[in-house]
Amino acid sequence: MSLDDRLARVALGRLAEPGDPRMSALVAELGASRVHEHLAAERDLGGMLSDVAARLAGLDPAADLARAESSGLRFVVPGEEEWPVSLDDLAGAAPLQERGGVPLGLWVRGPVRLDALADSVAVVGSRSATSYGASVAGEIGATLAGAGLATVSGAAFGIDQAAHRGALAGRGPTVAVLACGADRVYPTAHRQLIDYVAQTGAVVSEVPPGGAPMRVRFLARNRIIAGLGRATVVVEAAARSGALNTANWADRLHRSVLGVPGPVTSAQSQGVHHLVRSGLATLVTGGADVLEMVGAAGDHLTLEPRGREHPRDRLTRREAQVLDAVPVHRPAAADAIARTSGIGLVEVGSALLRLRHRDLVVQEEGGWVLTASAAT
Amino acid sequence: MPVATARTVSLQGAVGHLIDVQVDVSAGMVGTTLVGRPDAAISEGRDRVRMAIANTTRTWPATRRVTILLSPADVPKNGSHFDLAVAVGVLGAAGDVPLAALDDTVFLGELTLDGRLRPVHGVLPMVMAASARGIGRVLVPQPQAAEASLVPGMTVVGVRSLGQVVALLRGLPLPDAPPVEPVSGSALLSWRGQGRVHEQDLSEVLGMADARYAVEVAAAGGHHLMLTGPRGAGKTTLAERIPGLLPDLSVEESLELTAIHSLAGTLRPGDERLVRPPYAAPHSTSSRASLLGGGSGQVRPGELSRAHCGVLLLDEFPLFSADIVEALRQPLESGEITIARGDETATYPARGMVVLACNPCPCGDYTPSPLTSRCVCPETRRRDYRRKLTGPVIDRIDITRHVEPVQPHEMDDPLTPPPESTAVVRARVTAARDRQRLRYAQDPWRTNAQTPGPVLSDRFPLSEAAARRLGAELYAGRLTRRGVTRVHRLAWTVADLADVERPGTDELDTALRLRSGEPLLVSTLGRRAG
Repeated sequence: MSLDDRLARVALGRLAEPGDPRMSALVAELGASRVHEHLAAERDLGGMLSDVAARLAGLDPAADLARAESSGLRFVVPGEEEWPVSLDDLAGAAPLQERGGVPLGLWVRGPVRLDALADSVAVVGSRSATSYGASVAGEIGATLAGAGLATVSGAAFGIDQAAHRGALAGRGPTVAVLACGADRVYPTAHRQLIDYVAQTGAVVSEVPPGGAPMRVRFLARNRIIAGLGRATVVVEAAARSGALNTANWADRLHRSVLGVPGPVTSAQSQGVHHLVRSGLATLVTGGADVLEMVGAAGDHLTLEPRGREHPRDRLTRREAQVLDAVPVHRPAAADAIARTSGIGLVEVGSALLRLRHRDLVVQEEGGWVLTASAAT
Repeated sequence: MPVATARTVSLQGAVGHLIDVQVDVSAGMVGTTLVGRPDAAISEGRDRVRMAIANTTRTWPATRRVTILLSPADVPKNGSHFDLAVAVGVLGAAGDVPLAALDDTVFLGELTLDGRLRPVHGVLPMVMAASARGIGRVLVPQPQAAEASLVPGMTVVGVRSLGQVVALLRGLPLPDAPPVEPVSGSALLSWRGQGRVHEQDLSEVLGMADARYAVEVAAAGGHHLMLTGPRGAGKTTLAERIPGLLPDLSVEESLELTAIHSLAGTLRPGDERLVRPPYAAPHSTSSRASLLGGGSGQVRPGELSRAHCGVLLLDEFPLFSADIVEALRQPLESGEITIARGDETATYPARGMVVLACNPCPCGDYTPSPLTSRCVCPETRRRDYRRKLTGPVIDRIDITRHVEPVQPHEMDDPLTPPPESTAVVRARVTAARDRQRLRYAQDPWRTNAQTPGPVLSDRFPLSEAAARRLGAELYAGRLTRRGVTRVHRLAWTVADLADVERPGTDELDTALRLRSGEPLLVSTLGRRAG
């Protein structure tokens, strides 16, 4: 029997672990329908899928799809209008930890369309975040929301949660990519958060409905977080954090990797510091920096930090030399100043007049002294 | 004629000494002598007592020699409340009252010329001292009978005049006397204190999850706390809500506190035993005496002692004068303050939580980013200001926390539950305090913050892994010895709050963060941040 592409993808998704690069390579080459057909006929493709026919026979992808749709999920596959084309970059990227490839399709719950996420930014980080990291992640989410950009993240404790909440506070779209079925809630403590995201943004997963959140699925999931948007911000990540996996995927997909620094003594920031030190990530200090990095050249420019302007700043070198020779308290005559500064008397005289014009020196009985504004 | 002995109490700080007033009336050169290191108030009392006796239609033995001895002779004695004991002693020696009636009784009160009694300061601590020495009955000016009755097991008789005292001692019906006026002086301005503090609720404080947790830990273990942050970030707002988090005082604590207030003269007649933890927020220009105790004339306890078992907020801490900052070292460490002056030494308890609050600079507007900083302080002033935040006093502060102004996204978050109320947090703090009370039931201290360092490592160790990690912090030079002890205490409080049997590495990690000022883990705050 032969299924159409969409149903074949549902069936294959039940069969293969998400992010299995062999499956996505086969689908890319032969098309989902033909792969399904071969497997159903028990033609072993390279010895990798031996007992699949029996498993395939037990599936009813059409009913599967109908059931999911009735519970508010939709299935988006490559080639459809809503498909986020940015994920097609995954086809060209080498696998990472044996995960990779374009997803067979994405299960989505929520009003936000995936094809609108081209400018989104992923905000990821440690589950055991500090309040500092959570505060920065929230600020980034809120700033992105203010600029109309969506925030993409997981749904874990710590940074993920903070980023979503920041974005929600800014009344902006936010997308949670799960490692379990999009109809499930993991971690269960985040039911409220995930449901809220599903109401206002989108909850996304390549794992078929009902799928459990298994460890390896998080690694596969990370490539979707990194691939959906334009950049990945790592807020806090310890040395072996899963957020570093997402950062590596973003780098592999030629997305910008941005890192928020912390104290060098903080274990929660070690991973980020390593990313910055190895040249993989660009350092950002908040939402404004992120916007500048992801926007078109010239958009969202941040001000360069600079110190307060001091009246001395605009002096010529000669004038500065004269000013340095003017005493703070006891007035000195022009010739004394000339001696101290090592500059000729005539030049000192005219420099003093210019300095007086700038309100840096005053002439008192007995000579010149600094004004209060010059003395600070 | 026999020698009559009437008893009263002299206070040195919060320590009371039982004093025998022995009076001998015998033949000799006519006159009255008073010996045994009396202060001016007692010496003047001679004349008050003489006229009071005369005006109570008794006769002062004017034609004989009256010798009044205050013993033990080496204890300096002060206070006008000696009047009543002196008068009763003279009457006893003159045979006007039966000597047996003076046994087992302490007399407190100042006399007026017409024989009426006036209230005096410090009745409660004096009665407590008398009770500790086995005295069973006290006679006090009538408005202060309630105060004296706070001491359990004591028979308290409130009297209005010397005439009533004489009748009482002779076993006659009491003559009528006008009521005694309360201690003179009334507050001119209502102080930004108690009344206001109890109306404040933690649910009014948005955000600041970190600082809220720090405050909760401080309240649960009685730890000293420092809040830093820019002006208007909410440091004072938070600090003012700490007393509300503390459970009611135990009977013992409340007697101590009421006694201190009695000494300070801030106890009004009719005041019940103080049951709520006190709160004091002296201004940075306060004098050393008002803050730590002392004063001209009689030594009085300062704000630090009046906040015993409560909270003392030193707002704008770096603006306090250097000698006050230095003098805080002893009470922060030992929980009591000793004031030595001339030949008297007064020791007052001072086991309140000290909360220091400070701005980043004298004007309070400094922020690290020059884009947002509106600070106008010259760099040198900023440096001087910050210099006070290092050194021995800060080393004795258990918890440091930086308070950032609440950001807009923290307030608009639709998923944030409303902030917890004082009642909810107080329930947790009370539970943690109960655990400590149980653990330290056999010990003289009450909270983790008061537990002596050596006892901690012997009897209340951390888990092995946690102890190793804490040792590593010491050897790496990141903590001083004192720091190790303080982190150890904090770890116990964190464990008590989380209902953990023995502090492990998680609790230690939180304790280290609390002390160093590093941000806390979100998982620690989980329950509170929602």
